[in-house]
Amino acid sequence: MPLIKGYTALASEILIYAMFALGFNLLLSYTGLPSFGHAAFFGIGAYGLALTQLKWVKDLWLGLFVGMLAAGFFAALVGAIIARKRGVYFALLTLAFGQMFFFIAFRWDEVTGGETGLTGFDRPPLAIPGLPPLNLTAPMNFYLFTLIVLMVVMILIWRLIHSPFGSVLQAVKQNELRAKYLGYNTIFYKWASFTLSGMISGLAGAMFALQHGSVFPQYLYWTESGNVVMITIMGGGVVNFFGPVLGAGIFVILQNAIGALTEHWLFLLGLTFILIVMVIPEGILGLFKKTKTAQ
Amino acid sequence: MRLLPACRPYRRIDMPDAFEFLSQGINGVVMGLLLSTIAVGFTLMLGVIGIINFAHGILFALGAYFAFTIKSLFGFWAALILSPIIVGIIGIIIERLAIKRMYGKDVLFCLLLTFGIAMSVEELIRMVWGKLGHSIAAPSFVSGSIDLGFMLYSKYRLLLAGLSALILFLVWLFLEKTSYGAVVKAGAQDSEMVGVLGNNINRLRTFVFGFGSALAGIAGVIAAPLWSVRPGMGNDAIMPAFVIVVLGGVGSFWGTVIGGLAVGLSISLAVMFLPRVSDLVMYILAAVVLLFWPRGIMGEKSLLEE
Repeated sequence: MPLIKGYTALASEILIYAMFALGFNLLLSYTGLPSFGHAAFFGIGAYGLALTQLKWVKDLWLGLFVGMLAAGFFAALVGAIIARKRGVYFALLTLAFGQMFFFIAFRWDEVTGGETGLTGFDRPPLAIPGLPPLNLTAPMNFYLFTLIVLMVVMILIWRLIHSPFGSVLQAVKQNELRAKYLGYNTIFYKWASFTLSGMISGLAGAMFALQHGSVFPQYLYWTESGNVVMITIMGGGVVNFFGPVLGAGIFVILQNAIGALTEHWLFLLGLTFILIVMVIPEGILGLFKKTKTAQ
Repeated sequence: MRLLPACRPYRRIDMPDAFEFLSQGINGVVMGLLLSTIAVGFTLMLGVIGIINFAHGILFALGAYFAFTIKSLFGFWAALILSPIIVGIIGIIIERLAIKRMYGKDVLFCLLLTFGIAMSVEELIRMVWGKLGHSIAAPSFVSGSIDLGFMLYSKYRLLLAGLSALILFLVWLFLEKTSYGAVVKAGAQDSEMVGVLGNNINRLRTFVFGFGSALAGIAGVIAAPLWSVRPGMGNDAIMPAFVIVVLGGVGSFWGTVIGGLAVGLSISLAVMFLPRVSDLVMYILAAVVLLFWPRGIMGEKSLLEE
C-alpha cells in the first residue's frame, strides 16, 4: 500500500479495513457464506482491546490478543448455531445476531459505556524483547506496525486458503453436498471458517480501536457489516485474493473525498455501490480477469 | 436508534399491577400487528424473489414521509390511499430498473444493491425533508383517548391496530381467495416450479416487489403518528422485519403474523419488567426459537437453503 504523504492516518485506516475485509472474504469467497453481521466481530475485537487497556493492563499484545480471542469466541458460538445454514438464510441470521451484539454494546452501560462508548485509552508502546520499546503514538510508527500486522495476517490467510483445509472450504463453496459425500464434515469446516474469519475481523477491530483511541457501539451496526461486504465486492474479492485490499483503499478514499465535498456523501456512496453492483459485479480486479480470458 | 419509542410506558413503576400488565399487553398486540404489516411484504419478497430487501425499511420511511406531505395538503385518508400507491410505483421502478438485472446471479449482489439503494434514498430523504424529525398529529377524529371501562387507551393506537388487522386480512384474502394470490403463495414456496408451470415469472416478481413496497408504504403511513418521522426510521422498521421472518419462517403469512405478535408482545413485556433489554429481547427470542425450529415456526423447507 503506497503511503500518501500527509495522510498517514488515512493510510493506516485503509490497512485496517483491508485486514477486516480479507478476514471477511475468507468466509465469503473461499467458503461461500455471505455473512451480513461481521461488524459485530470487528466491534467485539475493538471493545476487547479497549476493555483490556482500561480495566486490566496497558499492554499492546495482550489487548490485541484479547480482542481477537473475544471475537473468535463469539464467532464460534454464533457459528455453532448457524453453520447448517447457507445462502440468503445465512445472511439473515448473521444479520440478526450482529444486531443482537450491537444492542448489547448499546445498552450495557457498565461495561461498554453504552451510547457514548469507551474512550481515554491510548496506544501502548510496542515492546519486542531485546529492542527498545517503540512509540506507536507517532502516526508513521503506527502505520508501519499496521502494515506488518496486515502482512502477517495476509500471509496466514494465503497459506490457509492454499492448504488442504482451504481446499475443503472451497469444495464446500462449490458443492457442499459433494464435499459431504466425500466424507468431509462440512458443518465443521463452515464453523471453523466462520470462527477464523471472526477472529481476523476482531483483530482488525482491535487495531481500529488502537488507531482511534475510542470505541463506539456504531462499530457493530449492521450498516458497517454492509460496508465490509461492499469493500470486498468492490475491489473484486470474489475473483482475486487481493480484491479486499483494493476495495478498502477505494472505500476509505471515497468516503473521505466525497465527505469533504458534500455533507450528503452517503447519497453518493450509496449510488457508487449501486453502480458497481450493476456495472461491474465482479469488482475492479474482476475487470482484469475478464480481459485475460478474452485474449 | 431507539426502537419503538412509543412502546415505552407513560410512567415507570416498580411492581407492575394488573392494569399496567394489561395495558402493556394491548400495546404489544398493537405493535405486533403493525410489525406484521411491515414484515408481510418483506417475507413475500424473500420467498418469491429470493432477495433480502434492505430497502424495505426505507420504503416504509418513504410511506411515512409522503404521508407527512400529503396529509398536510389533503388530509389523512388521502395520505392513507395515495402514499402506498406512490411507494408501490417506486418499488416497481426499482425492480424494473435495477433488481431485475440481478436475477440468476448470486443472491449477494441483490443484497448489496438494495443496501446501496437504502443508503442513498435515506440521504435523499435528508435532502428533501431535512435532517430533523417531524411529528405527525393523529387525525382529529382519533385524537385523545377512549375509556375502555377499566382504563384509558389512545384512540389512535386502536385505529392503528384496526387498520393493521384489516390490511393483514386483505393480504390473507388475496393470497387465499384469488387465483393470482395462489400463484404468489406458491411462488413463496417454490418460485422455479411456478415458472415451469407456465406463469410469467418476471411479471410475478415485479408484482410482488411492487405489492410488498406498497405494504411497506402503508405501514409507514399508519405508523407515522406514533413513530417520529425521521430519516433513520427505516432502520427501526427493518430489523423487526428480519427477526419476524426468522421467527415465523420465510414466505409464510401466518408465520409472519405469529412472529409479529411475538415480537410486539415480548418488547412490551420487556419494557415493563426489564426496560434495558427491550431492544434486545426479540433477538434473544429469535435465537431461542431457532434452536427448536431451525426454519422458523411455520417455515417449510425452502429452496433458499440450497
